[in-house]
Amino acid sequence: MTYAYLFKYIIIGDTGVGKSCLLLQFTDKRFQPVHDLTIGVEFGARMVNIDGKQIKLQIWDTAGQESFRSITRSYYRGAAGALLVYDITRRETFNHLTSWLEDARQHSSSNMVIMLIGNKSDLESRRDVKREEGEAFAREHGLIFMETSAKTACNVEEAFINTAKEIYRKIQQGLFDVHNEANGIKIGPQQSISTSLGPSASQQNCRDLGSDAGCC
Amino acid sequence: MFGRSRSWVGGGHGKSSRNIHSLDHLKYLYHVLTKNTTVTEQNRNLLVETIRSITEILIWGDQNDSSVFDFFLEKNMFVFFLNILRQKSGRYVCVQLLQTLNILFENISHETSLYYLLSNNYVNSIIVHKFDFSDEEIMAYYISFLKTLSLKLNNHTVHFFYNEHTNDFALYTEAIKFFNHPESMVRIAVRTITLNVYKVDNQAMLHYIRDKTAVPYFSNLVWFIGSHVIELDTCVQTDEEHRNRGKLSDLVAEHLDHLHYLNDILIINCEFLNDVLSDHLLNRLFLPLYVSSLESPDKGGERPKISLPVSLYLLSQVFLIIHHAPLVNSLAEVILNGELSEVYAKTEQDVQRNSAKPSIRCFIKPTESLERSLEMNKHKGKRRVQKRPNYKNVGEEEDEEKGAAEDAQEDAEKAKGTEGGSKGAKTSGENEEIEMVIMERKLSELAASSSLQEQNTTDEEKSAAATCSAGVQWSRPFLDMVFHALDSPDDDYHALFVLCLLYAMSHNKGIDPEKLERIQLPVPNEAEKTTYNHLLTERLIRIMNNAAQPDGKIRLATLELSCLLLKQQVLAASGCIMKDVHLACLQGAREESVHLARHFYKGEDIFLDMFEDEYRSMTMKPMNVEYLMMDASILLPPTGTPLTGIDFVKRLPCGDVEKTRRAIRVFFMLRSLSLQLRGEPETQLPLTREEDLIKTDDVLDLNNSDLIACTVITKDGGMVQRFLAVDIYQMSLVEPDVSRLGWGVVKFAGLLQDMQVTGEYDDSRALNITIHKPTSSPHSKPFPILQATFVFSDHIRCIIAKQRLAVGRIQARRMKMQRIAALLDLPIQPRTEVLGFGLGSSASTQHLPFRFYDQCRRGSSDPTVQRSVFASVDKVPGFAVAQCINQHSSPSLSSPSPPSASGSPSGSGNTSHCDSGGSSSTPSAAQSPTDVPTTPEQPPPPPHLPDQLGTGREAEADAKPSRSLARGPELETAHLSPSLLPAQQPTISLLYEDTADTLSVEAPTLVPPVDPHSLRALTGRPQPPTPATAGTETPDEEAAWAEPEGPAEH
Repeated sequence: MTYAYLFKYIIIGDTGVGKSCLLLQFTDKRFQPVHDLTIGVEFGARMVNIDGKQIKLQIWDTAGQESFRSITRSYYRGAAGALLVYDITRRETFNHLTSWLEDARQHSSSNMVIMLIGNKSDLESRRDVKREEGEAFAREHGLIFMETSAKTACNVEEAFINTAKEIYRKIQQGLFDVHNEANGIKIGPQQSISTSLGPSASQQNCRDLGSDAGCC
Repeated sequence: MFGRSRSWVGGGHGKSSRNIHSLDHLKYLYHVLTKNTTVTEQNRNLLVETIRSITEILIWGDQNDSSVFDFFLEKNMFVFFLNILRQKSGRYVCVQLLQTLNILFENISHETSLYYLLSNNYVNSIIVHKFDFSDEEIMAYYISFLKTLSLKLNNHTVHFFYNEHTNDFALYTEAIKFFNHPESMVRIAVRTITLNVYKVDNQAMLHYIRDKTAVPYFSNLVWFIGSHVIELDTCVQTDEEHRNRGKLSDLVAEHLDHLHYLNDILIINCEFLNDVLSDHLLNRLFLPLYVSSLESPDKGGERPKISLPVSLYLLSQVFLIIHHAPLVNSLAEVILNGELSEVYAKTEQDVQRNSAKPSIRCFIKPTESLERSLEMNKHKGKRRVQKRPNYKNVGEEEDEEKGAAEDAQEDAEKAKGTEGGSKGAKTSGENEEIEMVIMERKLSELAASSSLQEQNTTDEEKSAAATCSAGVQWSRPFLDMVFHALDSPDDDYHALFVLCLLYAMSHNKGIDPEKLERIQLPVPNEAEKTTYNHLLTERLIRIMNNAAQPDGKIRLATLELSCLLLKQQVLAASGCIMKDVHLACLQGAREESVHLARHFYKGEDIFLDMFEDEYRSMTMKPMNVEYLMMDASILLPPTGTPLTGIDFVKRLPCGDVEKTRRAIRVFFMLRSLSLQLRGEPETQLPLTREEDLIKTDDVLDLNNSDLIACTVITKDGGMVQRFLAVDIYQMSLVEPDVSRLGWGVVKFAGLLQDMQVTGEYDDSRALNITIHKPTSSPHSKPFPILQATFVFSDHIRCIIAKQRLAVGRIQARRMKMQRIAALLDLPIQPRTEVLGFGLGSSASTQHLPFRFYDQCRRGSSDPTVQRSVFASVDKVPGFAVAQCINQHSSPSLSSPSPPSASGSPSGSGNTSHCDSGGSSSTPSAAQSPTDVPTTPEQPPPPPHLPDQLGTGREAEADAKPSRSLARGPELETAHLSPSLLPAQQPTISLLYEDTADTLSVEAPTLVPPVDPHSLRALTGRPQPPTPATAGTETPDEEAAWAEPEGPAEH
């Protein structure tokens, strides 16, 4: 499956906020979210369609590697987009956002698109961080904001795709040097590698991206 | 596609879809697998979904039902996976399998489940399976799989991966084969895996890592890093036009990544791994490539080299990041004391002769690929022979002996630290590595003995040794070069890096402080410091002096770093240990900077904004050397144009505005440095201090103040009744204090200088007022703290209010401009140009609007205000002086004049007087002598000397820069015609006597040049104040000039 661009993402945030679940939810829909099963993954890839262009998203979870400064540093530097995730039922995960963001800004290229995600929006009854607070934080720091639920798949699609759209917009504005792979963006191979569809590619379903505003 | 697979599940097992998480369903899936052992085009989708479902059930089972795992093991279902994989079943199935495994190992929470999965070596078979790594997706999933596994490593699980008997550690060896993969995410994953492996504290495994893999891996890694460095250097060399900045900054970031990775390995603190790594880094990279490039370029012949700035830059990064003591100490030793060239030349020949001479320091490519080395090592398995590919071309026949020697080496390292052990090892064979290690040890012994020698020398000798750059008895080519690079007259291209390197070394926690002390490099926070490196200090001061020149080619970053290093050098716990001669030179540089700033001073409003803005950005963003050294842009020769996008402090100024900004900063930095060195507090900056301002909820006595009632309508529609009052710097909105008649509570206070007033378009009684918050950074959007419409009772009051605000604004800004002028030793601008301003100003002085509830808070800002107003009224300097002195000397404690709220003025005056007799370091001492010779010519005020000193001191506290006047006369001689020499100018005494307020631009100032010769030439003139007492004990000839000739009156 060929693609026009490949965008590399990283997912950051405290442990237990549901990063790997978000990732799996986005890259492999076949894992139906069910009540008694928490399941995640640290890497995933998926094709999306933006403005008629096939774009491959490669998402790397950085969990468990925080103790190595070199690793976090390199991850940030090699990514075009970052999903900064907190858990709306645990205030401390929200409070740590500043330091995550500082890290991200320090190590990443200034063009990196950062999306702030308040996860677990299905747990409304246990909510500890107001939606408005997330919005305010995002506004203050120039991030895109969204509340998602990896459990119900609500907004997961949008979170990843809106980030991709923003990156794509920046490419078109000439802010990203697409020929420099260090930015986390790669131009696709000119010809199709193979005709067979990989499973991750196979799930890609070019749904109408604009339609779903919010279910949370 | 996704829909398809889902519908397939639904179609095939509609009834069971409700209960897909069950043992039964797993049994069914097992059945599917047994029926489809061969992968075909037809059953591919079925198999993929089956594998995926199995994963899901296993995870579910791990969390809910242990029987699921039992079944999985019982039926040996992993074999099916392996079987499918081996059929070259194509990317689709491959990726699904890898992802399944990822999910499996990622989500398994029970240790027993994990052990089950790992127990029968299937995982290792999958690891060594030859996937199609040219496929980007397979590669990514594969390396993620390895990474996931590595995260599961611990002292127990490591046995599933590392086989002691067969010397197999596929997880690690397969991973490191991708250490230089073109895809950065893959490389990062490899590094994660290696770090996760090194972290496991398993001796057998770590021994294996060191004996079988460390040398091949590290030598290749080091070569990989070195290649990047060469590429980086080429990029710098070929990029005069700054075209490849993007690429350059990537390469720099890459180098930082490498260093951080190396540091991450080193701080895991696995000792014998660190030895091998340090050895490789030192002998294969840092010394042969970085350090040897410090030497003059003509030496060294064919060896790969990098340019001097690049090598300094990279070494700074090394010292900033890596703190592993053995490594940084050896490296520092060579740089500071080393004579590498001889050793180097010899060893190079040795390499060519292929002799077993030990310390082969060169940067050469490993002779075989990492993969091959690993292969070789593995096959030589039991013999425990280590293939060491890059040391030289070792013949295969040598392997036998080497094997034996290797064991000896191991012993040696176990006995590390005990001299006997290592010596024994040395004699045991010609194993290179042992000798390498010993070589290092010898080197440090040598260093130790030399340090012992040096410890016997006195401080003076030490400094002489350090100062004597071409020391006969002690040749330090690298250090020489380092100091030499500071001398570059044209620009600060090299100097900045040298400073960074010195900074980085002195802040490195791993370096033995003694090593630095031996050459008197500054060690921060050193408690007892008595000496400092004169050579370095002089160079630092020269840089400062250069920076203060109008066409100085010193960037702000260089200056700031110089200030940092200087402080580090001479500030001890007991205070400043700087010699007077140096202090005086520094004072000179400061004078120059005042001069420079004065040159750009204009009576324009914008100067004030720039002044305050620069102060804010300087204090809010102090230099971070680590960040500075992360910026690739400083690698290119300094440029002036902002079009490059280079940060202002890291380039030269472009255009008048930037030159002004630069001059202001230089002024700030040198002022703050000199204040700090003399242990004096800053009392004048910032111009607006929070604590001097009226704040919300302050209670003011408003009796006899002009108050205008108004209605304030804020933007959001709020409406309140307030009284508008205008103070010197601020306007405030108050409401009456209920408890005291005539007092008011401040509800809002804002700076007049940041205010904008416009009349309301259709209402003659209303004004629109906006006050912006002073921006913390010049780039952020101005944020209004007040945006409101003020409605007054009639248009007359409105006009009055408008005028008062407008005049207040102008006046507030004037006031500050005057304070700047005072700081810069400038005369006060005539004020008549502002219509109605004189009136306003006198009004403000006559009745300062409010008395504060707590009076002391306002302290120091008021006197200046008063006096500057005062001075401006009388434009005849002499008259003003007389008045000033009267004002100050007679009622010296009268309320407005105390310079600071805390100290009593007379006290400070006395102190300064005493100082002038004793130590030279205080400014007042500097001041007093100068006025003595001039007093005879000074007609009007002939006060007693002590009084005069007292007043001088007081005045000075008000306007700090006046102290710099002391040396003023000399400075100007450099620029003025002889007729303007200070002694002939009767006004000088006035200029001095008066505080800055009434100074004329011509106020002569003179800096003692850094160059001692020119100083000597000046000795006939009235000397700068450096008093006799301090200078005498120094034998330094440079100190001689400071011997006082003038002020014998003391």
